[in-house]
Parts: sequence; structure tokens; C-alpha cells
Amino acid sequence: MVNPYLDGRPLPARRFSRFLVFGLALVIGVGSLTVRLFYLQIANGTTYATLSAQNRSVLEPIPAPRGLIYDRSGRVLVTNVPTFAVKVRPADLPDSARDAVVGRLAALIGMDAADINAAIDGNPGSAFDYVRIAQDVDESTARLISEAGFELPGVEVSVEARRQYTDGPLFSQILGYTGPISAEQLAELRIRGYQPDDLLGKTGVEASYERELRGTYGQQSVERDASGRRTQVLQTVRDSVPGASLRLTIDTKTQREAQKALRWGMKEIGMKRGVVIAMNPQTGEVLAMVSLPTYDNNLFARGISNKAYNKLLKDRNKPLLNHAIQAHYPPGSTYKLVAGTGVLADKEITSSTRVMTKPYLTIGSTKFYEWNRRGWGPCDIYCGFGHSSDTFFFQMAGKLGIDRLGYWANQYGFGAKTGIDLPGEVPGIVPTNQWKMDTLGAEVFPGETYQAGIGQGYDVVTPIQLINAYAAMANGGKLYQPQVVREVIGPDGEVARAFKPKLIHKMKVKQSVLRTMRNAARTVVTIRHTYNLVDLPIKVAGKSGTAEFGLRDKKGRLPFHSWFVGFVPKNEKRGSFNKADSDMVVLAFAYDSRTVGNAATEIVKYFLQLHYGIKKDYRNFDLLERGNFYQSN
Amino acid sequence: MGVIRAEPARVTDWAARSVGAAWRAFDLQLATYAGLLVAIGLVMAYTNSVETGSTPLEAGTTFTRGLMWAGIAVVVFAATTVFDYRWFKTLAWPIYAIQLGLLVLTLAIGDGVGGAARWIVVGPLTFQFSELAKILMIIVLADYLSSRQSKLDSLPAILGACVLIVPPLILVMLQPDLGTSLVFAAILAGMLWMSGASLKWLGLLAAVVVAMVPVAWTYILRDYQKERLLSFLNATPDIQGSGYQLYQAQIAVGSGGWMGKGLTNGTQAQGDFLPVQTTDFVFAILAEELGFIGAMVLFGLFVLLIWRVLVAGWRSRDPFGTLFSAGVASMILFQLIVNVGMVMGVMPITGIPLPFVTHGGASLVSMAIGLGILQSINIRQTRAEW
Repeated sequence: MVNPYLDGRPLPARRFSRFLVFGLALVIGVGSLTVRLFYLQIANGTTYATLSAQNRSVLEPIPAPRGLIYDRSGRVLVTNVPTFAVKVRPADLPDSARDAVVGRLAALIGMDAADINAAIDGNPGSAFDYVRIAQDVDESTARLISEAGFELPGVEVSVEARRQYTDGPLFSQILGYTGPISAEQLAELRIRGYQPDDLLGKTGVEASYERELRGTYGQQSVERDASGRRTQVLQTVRDSVPGASLRLTIDTKTQREAQKALRWGMKEIGMKRGVVIAMNPQTGEVLAMVSLPTYDNNLFARGISNKAYNKLLKDRNKPLLNHAIQAHYPPGSTYKLVAGTGVLADKEITSSTRVMTKPYLTIGSTKFYEWNRRGWGPCDIYCGFGHSSDTFFFQMAGKLGIDRLGYWANQYGFGAKTGIDLPGEVPGIVPTNQWKMDTLGAEVFPGETYQAGIGQGYDVVTPIQLINAYAAMANGGKLYQPQVVREVIGPDGEVARAFKPKLIHKMKVKQSVLRTMRNAARTVVTIRHTYNLVDLPIKVAGKSGTAEFGLRDKKGRLPFHSWFVGFVPKNEKRGSFNKADSDMVVLAFAYDSRTVGNAATEIVKYFLQLHYGIKKDYRNFDLLERGNFYQSN
Repeated sequence: MGVIRAEPARVTDWAARSVGAAWRAFDLQLATYAGLLVAIGLVMAYTNSVETGSTPLEAGTTFTRGLMWAGIAVVVFAATTVFDYRWFKTLAWPIYAIQLGLLVLTLAIGDGVGGAARWIVVGPLTFQFSELAKILMIIVLADYLSSRQSKLDSLPAILGACVLIVPPLILVMLQPDLGTSLVFAAILAGMLWMSGASLKWLGLLAAVVVAMVPVAWTYILRDYQKERLLSFLNATPDIQGSGYQLYQAQIAVGSGGWMGKGLTNGTQAQGDFLPVQTTDFVFAILAEELGFIGAMVLFGLFVLLIWRVLVAGWRSRDPFGTLFSAGVASMILFQLIVNVGMVMGVMPITGIPLPFVTHGGASLVSMAIGLGILQSINIRQTRAEW
């Protein structure tokens, strides 16, 4: 048969060997692939299965709900609210697209691109850690960002808890706020489970009780895809333990009264800074602590912009500072408590010893004037303290000498931090020979001792030290550590740490001396050194003070602060200052308050009216007119 | 080649055979194995569509596009089976011209990733002409070599085949597509081997190619190509950079174990740890989800398919058929070894698709043409005595 397809050519010879070799190549080729496959899947299958599992699952912390904070009566001062946070994982943010992504993000969340860049560059963690860009993003924006995932590589929206401060500025100085962890804090706290995108207490109680409030973070293993996005939670390794809650010693009502009184006084005289503190001298519990100007800690909880933060930082009246504990000022005549207690305790004088008060005293050629430039003739301690006689206390300080004066100041807690459970407290200065040698390289001159006796010169104190000293006098010599947190309440609702007064030391002084000083303080009020304070239907003892500071004006006068510290016996209507049973000591500090009378006294008076429900208004508006306290008296 | 003969005049010859006899010569096994491989490809496209979160049957997913191309491939396969393959012999020179034309067109208007020009977009479809060029090259070479049966122990005939392959090879290199140009070389080698060319000259040719390697390395390959070629040799690859894909592919394969993680359960694919899953790395997903067993089934199908391709060549009374089958078998085997070897980290990354399985219309249609021509040869040229 002729094959029509071969065009008459012979049938080609097939070379079987060539087919065989080809077949061999097929077998060897596919055989090698099989060997390799066996090596990967069967021989090393376990290794690769582990790698695959590691690929997709990561251990991730479960944040613990932060503890809440209540006031003394159980009113909630801070809660946690869910909020949308926008975060960036720098590793997923391509350099080439960074400007575009940041720009887009800035437009979406209404932030400055510069702030976003600053946040990314200031990332305390590695490029693989999330950096918080914004908190408290509204839901529609959060959704927009989530949906724009492909246009915003490296950007993620997550739900997290934000602190919501019920009363904002009223408690800002006490509660403080939480904020993003800094690189330094992270280095220190990483070992305790803190995350690069963690929030923690930055100041106030939020910072000082960070350990209690934070709780213990849990751990879960999470499945993620190659771009690091979480796809699902695989397993909870360890549950989180919620943080403990705190109950403050502060009473919202008292705090409001203090704020109202201070606000009124500041507005009345156009004053820029002031402090009011109320304490229970029997326990050291702080009932109210107001430092003005203040700020709204919710701004920080929501993630403050750099612009707003810088504005607060640059404010000359330092609203971010708690002036009650974080700043010190010359105490003025309120400090006469130290010299008065000292001379009685050291038996330099008795309660009936009379000392001549004069228009001025002279050391060398320098005249040390009585504040009214007249004096009151012969005066005992009641008269000297009551009229706040400078020449009386120049002589008392002279009798004690600077070191003994310093000793009694230390007995009252001056010159050392009170240890209040708030961060950033400053210790103040109690001048002694040693102190002056150490800091200025000279002995204290006699004139400086005089000045120290009346709370001028080198003396500086914090308002909390001053009120704590008067509290010790009012309670019979027990110097307590002031506290703002009363109880720590565990996540189970049980009290984990009950309130206990913390004694710093018992003053080395006889009760009779302190009784004399309490009655001398009552004399201040009864002889109307504080004008109509005595007319209040409650019994008040206390001491006012004015302290010069800064630079003299054209007429050679110095600006001055005014102070008043007062206390009320347990039975406010019929109690006696012979007893050391006062449960209310209150301090007002009026910064740069050049008024005819003592502004701080008026503020305390108004506070007492509010606090004790006194209907009649005893406020003396005349005394708050602009003028010079020293010259008008 | 040379003279264009009036072959179609003989159409009556095959028409004279009964339809039944023609169907008996049709290799059902060949079609079945190819069909099963395509089905595996579709299953992988399906699992990929599920993993990317889309509904697989929606228009525009990898799966539906795969289905569409499979349909087109079946039609093309049937058409070429019925078509008398001798027309290809007749039209060998025009086919060569068309092949070069398509490659030039690709270079001129083609799209690709990162400045490459690899495929042409027509409406919603993209088509990679270099895939088609491979089959056209086999036709041209089969015709050239079969018409020089008696002269294949001489150097000029062998060099002539090499000269024929140089222009398309260069055009593909320019795209640049190193993988496809290597496939061209593999096709040439397999066909020369099967043509019965003398071992002496084949040995010399191999020596020249080996000697060319350093030259090609220095002057022809681009840096990224070198990096890819080397990354599989690197003991500690840069797993965040150039070695990332390879590393993740090996994790995918290795974590499959005996039985695999089950279809659509591949975590490497699901989590997108392995990019470009349905293209050249489809075997990684198959091995991850279907395990060693599944991969063995795939290998088995390929072995059977190549066997049937070789059988077609063995049976052919026309040397064109023998050579054509050799070209197709070389192409499939080379692509299988290089693609799977690449996924498993024993071959460099070159971007060669896995025949039938890899998602890609041009590759599938070209394979359909190749197998269709083989069936056409089967029907018309089977030796009666087999």
C-alpha cells in the first residue's frame, strides 16, 4: 500500500534509542521533582508546618480595661469609652507613597500633616509596631479610612478605650491624664508588658497610680495575613485582668466650692494664678485641691494637637502645673507659725512673755520695718501673732537663730516633700547655715535670719506644705502625709487597700505649745486682723500672709502674693481651739494679688460660707480693690 | 520547506477513510489527561477566587476567566484536530513570518509589569503571544527538520535550525522574558535530538551553548534576572526581599504534608503570603492544599500525557509528526520541571508557566493547538502496524 502522505518518500526510520533517552529524561526529571517534593512535604513537613503557623499567627496583648476613679462619695470621675484610633505601621508605609498617604490621612481626620509625620518619626517602637496617629476619630471617618485600605497602605483603624473625664477641668490637676508612651518610658516598661502604642498615665493620679489602674494585659494568638492585618483571633492564651479602681479623698462638692471661691476671687481682682486646698487635719486626706488656671484633661485623652499643647506649655501662668504641689512661693507671715512654735518649745519665751514691738529694728545701718511702721508696744505671742507683728518675729527668729528656726520648719514638714500621692511635688527651701554654705557659699547674716522668721528671703514653700504644717498644729502635732486617694478597689469590687493615715512624724513639741499657737491663730481672727472673718457664725482660726516677690515698681513697691490658712474646730459653732479636734483646714493662695486687703482671706471666707452653708454673705468687696496692702494698713 | 506543494488536493484521501477509523486513531487518553490537567487548573483558580474573598462564579474572577479560556481551548482543540495538519507544512514560511510579526507587535504595543512588554490587551482580554510563538516555532522547526531528514548528519542542517530559532529567541529576550526564550532552546534541543541528528554535532552544539553561558551572563542578562537566578542558590536567602516569594512558596509546599490542608484552606494563599498564586506559583498552592498525594496525581498526569505525546510521534508515518511530538513533549517536560522545580527551590525563578494548570489564556490555547495538531497527525498518520 502506498502511503499518500509521504509523497513517495520511504517511511522514516524511527530511532528507538532516541525515544528511550527521551523517556528516561522524563522519568529522571519527574523523579527528581518527586524526591524534592518528598523532602519538603514529608521529610521536613513538620518544620514547614511550624513556619506556616508562625507566618500567620502572632501573639498579641489583650489590653486590660483601665480602672475607674471615683470621688469620696462614689461619684464617677473617669470612665472608659470606646473610641476609634487611627494607627500606622511604618513598615507597611512605602517611602515613596508616604507624603501622599500622610496628606490623605491628614485631610480625612482633620489633622496637621506635620503632626502625623511627627508621630510617625517619634515612634518609640520599631517600624513593625503600630504608631498611634489620632484617637477619638468619629465613626464615619473611621469607616472611610478602613475602606480606603488600598489607598492608605500601613494605616489601620482600631477600636480602643479612651478616658472620659466627667468633670474635665475641675479635676484635671488631680486626675491628670493618659497619653502615648514615650521612647524612654517604653525602654523602662517594656519588661512589664507595655506596648509601643500603649497609653499610660502621664501625670496626676493617672500617673501615680498607674500600676493599680492599668491591670494586667492578657495575651491572644491572632491570625494575620502577609500585610499584617488581623484576620481572626485564634485563641486566648491568657485573659486580661482589669485594673483596680480608685476612690479619692476628694469630695466633688467641696472641690466645686473651692473652685467657685477661687474663681470668684481671681475674677474680682483680676488675678492670674491661685490655689485653694482643703484637708482633714486628723487624717491628711485632701478634700479639695484647686489650682488655677487649669486645663481640660479630656483634650489629652482625645489626643491633643501639637499646637494646642504648645499653647498650654507657653502660657505664662502655667496651667499644666499643679501650683498646689509643683511650685513653691515665699510663705510670708503664715510662716510665723514656725518661729512662734520654736520660741515656745525651746522655752525662749513663755505664752505670757511680752516683747516690745517697734516701728523698726536696726542691724548695722539696715532698718527692718514693722509692716505698719508703728508697732503695738509690748506684745505677748497672742498679740504678736494676732497682729502679725514683724518686729516681734524678727526678735523671735533672732532668739532661735537660723538653724533652730530651720529645725522647727522641718518639724512642720517644710523643706521636704510631703509625699502626697501625686507626681511632680517640689520640696521648697528652708534656709540654714548649712544650706546657705552649700548653695551660696556663705553663712547666714543676722538680717537674713530676721527675714526667714517672717517667711521672706530664702524661704519658699509649696501650698501643700503650708496647709500640712497648719494641719499638724491643728491636730496636736501629728505631721501626716497628705493623700488624695482613699481606697484602691480591686476588679472584684472589694477594697484592696483601705484608707490609713500615713504619719510622717510626730512633732517633738508639747501639746501646750500647740494649744497656745492655735489660740494665737484664733486671736488673728478675733482681733479683726482679718476684718469681719470673726463675724462668721462658725469659729475660725488662722493666719494670713503677704509675701513680696519679684521686682519693685516705680514707687519702690514690690508685688506680693497673699495667703490665708484657716481651720475650724470639729464642732464648728461651739468648739474650742484648746482642743486639737479640727477636721477642716483650708488654704488659699493668691498669686500677685495687690489689693487693699488680703485677697486669700476673702477667698477662704467665701469657701467657708459655701462649705458650711452660711446664707449671709460676709464677703468684703472693698478689700479686693486694687491697692497696696502694706501702705493702706 | 522550499516549494509550496499543493497538498490540499489530497484531502480526498483521508475523506476516503471511514469516520470510524479516524476516531479509532484519535487518542482519547491524550485528550483525557490534558482535560484532567485543565480541570486541576480550574480547581486551583476556584480555590484562589474563594481565598480572595470573591464569589467564584461572579464574572471577572480568576475562576470564570479560567472557565472561559477552557471553553475556547476545547473549541480550538477540536478545530485543529479536524484541520489537516499538512496545511501547516505548506504554510510554514508564512507561519514563521506571523510568529515574528506577533513578537514584534508585542514589543511595540505590549504591556507588562515594570516596563516589560509581554502581553497584548484586547478589550477585556490579555494575550501573551510568546506562548503562541512556541507552538508556531515547533511547526516551523518540524517542517524544516523533516524536509532535511537525509542531511541531518551534516552541520549546515543543524545550524540552519539554530539560525531559524535565533530571531524569535532574541525578540522574546527583549521583552524581556528569559523563561520563554529558555523554552525555545529546550524545544530546539528536544527536536534536534529526535530528528536523529548526529551525536557528534549535537555534542559540539551543547559545548558551544555551555561556553556561551558566561557571555550571556555578562552581556545579556539584566540585574534582576541574575538576582532571581542566584536567589535559589543562596543558602541564606533574603527572605524579606528577593527571596521572599521563594521562601513563602517552600513554606506553602512543605506545610502541605501528605494530604494537604484541603481546598481553599491553604493559609499561605489565604493570608496572601504568597503573591501571584495563580500564575507561575500555582503548584505551591496545589501542594499546600492537596498535599503530596495531590502533587503525585499531577505528576502522574503529566507523565502519562507526555507518554501519549511521544506515542503519537512514534506512530506517525510522517517525520513531521515525529518531530512535532518531540517539540511538544520537550516543551511540556521542560516547563514542568522548571516551573515545579522553581516553586520547590531547586530551579531558578524564570517565570515559566505550568502547562494546562497555570491560569493564562494564551498558554492554554497554545497547548490546545499543539495537542490538536497531534490528534490531527494521529488521525491521519497512524502506522497501521502499531
